[in-house]
Amino acid sequence: MASPILRIENVSKRYGKKDVLKGASLTVHKGDLKILIGPSGAGKSTLLQCINFLVKPDEGRIWLEDQEVHYAHKRNLYAYRQKVGMIFQDFNLFDHLNALENVRIGMVKVKGMAKSEAGERAVMELERVGLKDHMQKYPAQLSGGQKQRVSIARALAMDPKVMLLDEPTSALDPELIGEVHAVIRDLGNNGMTMIMATHQIGFASSLASEIIFMEDGQILERGTPEKIFFQAENARTKEFCSKITELYGETR
Amino acid sequence: MEEWLYIQTEVYPALLKGFWVSLQLIVPSAFCGLVIGIMVGVLRVYGSRPVMAAADTYVALFRGIPLVVQLFIWYFGLPYIKIYLSPFVAAVLGFSLCSGAYHSEYVRGALLSIKRGQMLAAQSLGFNKVRMIFSIILPQAIRRALPGCGNEIIYLIKYSSLAYMITCIELTGQGKILASNSFKYTEIFLIIGVCYLVMTSVAGVILGRVEDRLLLPGFERHRI
Repeated sequence: MASPILRIENVSKRYGKKDVLKGASLTVHKGDLKILIGPSGAGKSTLLQCINFLVKPDEGRIWLEDQEVHYAHKRNLYAYRQKVGMIFQDFNLFDHLNALENVRIGMVKVKGMAKSEAGERAVMELERVGLKDHMQKYPAQLSGGQKQRVSIARALAMDPKVMLLDEPTSALDPELIGEVHAVIRDLGNNGMTMIMATHQIGFASSLASEIIFMEDGQILERGTPEKIFFQAENARTKEFCSKITELYGETR
Repeated sequence: MEEWLYIQTEVYPALLKGFWVSLQLIVPSAFCGLVIGIMVGVLRVYGSRPVMAAADTYVALFRGIPLVVQLFIWYFGLPYIKIYLSPFVAAVLGFSLCSGAYHSEYVRGALLSIKRGQMLAAQSLGFNKVRMIFSIILPQAIRRALPGCGNEIIYLIKYSSLAYMITCIELTGQGKILASNSFKYTEIFLIIGVCYLVMTSVAGVILGRVEDRLLLPGFERHRI
C-alpha cells in the first residue's frame, strides 16, 4: 500500500487540568474521507485544529507525506498550513473583502502570486463551487451556504493536499446544507483527501471511507460506515448513533 | 469705520499668517500621530511581552503628562542635553507623540474587537503574523477605530493652539499679540474661535466622508 499522505500520532491537548484530547492517532491515505463523529466536547474540533496547529498540541507528532511537521519552526509551519486547507463551522470569510478577494488574498500574500494570475485562479475556483455570479459580493451579502462555498474555494485555491472540515454545515439552514454537501461530494469524487467532523450522518455514511467515533477526547471506535452505524461494538457508539439517526434521519 | 480698517490692515493679515502656521502644525502632526498610534496599537496587542510593556509605558507617559509640560520639555528641556529643536519641530514632535498615545488606545480597542475566526482563517491559509495583521486584521480594525481616531484629530486641531507657549506663533499666538497691542481681546478671540470652529467642522466633514468611503456592505450604520 502507498505510504499515507497524513499521519497523526498520539496527539494530546490539555487546557489547565482538563484533557480535551488524549492521544489521538490517525492515518490518512490519498483520497480518504474520514468522518469524525461524537458529542460536543468530544474533541473533534480540537483534533482538527491540532492537525494544522491552530491549537498547539502538548504531545504528539504529525507527518505530511513522510515529512514530519516541526511547528516550532515557523517557516515549516506556514508552508505546511498552505497544504492543509481548513473549513470552519462559521465560515470565517474575511469581512472586508469580497468573494473574489477572499479567494485571491492567500495566493497573493502567502504564495506571492501576481494579482492577475491569482485573480484568474480565484474566478476558476469560484466557478467550481457555483458562485461565479457572486464574485463581487461581500460576505454580509451572501447566504450561509454561499459563504461556506466561498471558504471552500478559498481553501482550494491554495492547492491543499488535505482538507479539514470542522462541521461545515452546522451553522446552515437545512435548505442550504445541500449545496455545500454537493460541493464536498464533488471534491471527494475528484480524489480530495478530507477529514470532516459532522453530525450529518446520512451524508457521512454515503461518502466516508472511515467513520471515527470520538468521546471525551479519545477515539473510541473506528470503521466503515456499515460497521459503525449497524454493528458498533462499543455501547456508547451505538447509543450516539441511534440518537443522531433519530435527529438527522436515516443513514441510508 | 476705524474698527473695520484695523481688522482689514492688521487683524486679517496676522491671523491669516497664523492660520497657515496652524495648518502646517496640524497636518503633519495628525498624520504622524495616526501612524504612531497604529504602530503602537498593534504592538500593544500583538507585541512580545517586553515590547508590549514598552508600548504601555509610552502611552502612560504621553497620555499622563500635560501636553504643555511635554512641549516645555521638548523645547526648553532638550537643550540641556545639547539637542536644539526649532519651536515648530518641537511642537510637531510633541503633538505627534501625544496624539499617537491616544490613537493607540482607539486602535487597540478596535484590534481586540476583531473576531478570532478571522485570525484562524488567515493562519490556516499559511499567513505569517505580520502579513495577517497588515492584510487581514488592520484593514478591519482601522474602520472600527475611525470614529475614535477622528475625535482625536479634532482634538488635535484645538490643542495645536498650545504651540505659541513655546514661541511657535500660530493662530492663537498671533491673536494674543494682536490683542495685547490693541486690547480688543473679545473681538479678536471671537474671530479666532470661529476660525477653529471652521477647521474642526471641515475636518469633521472630511472624516465623515472617509468613514462613508470605507464603509463595507453589511456594516452600514443602522438606525433603530
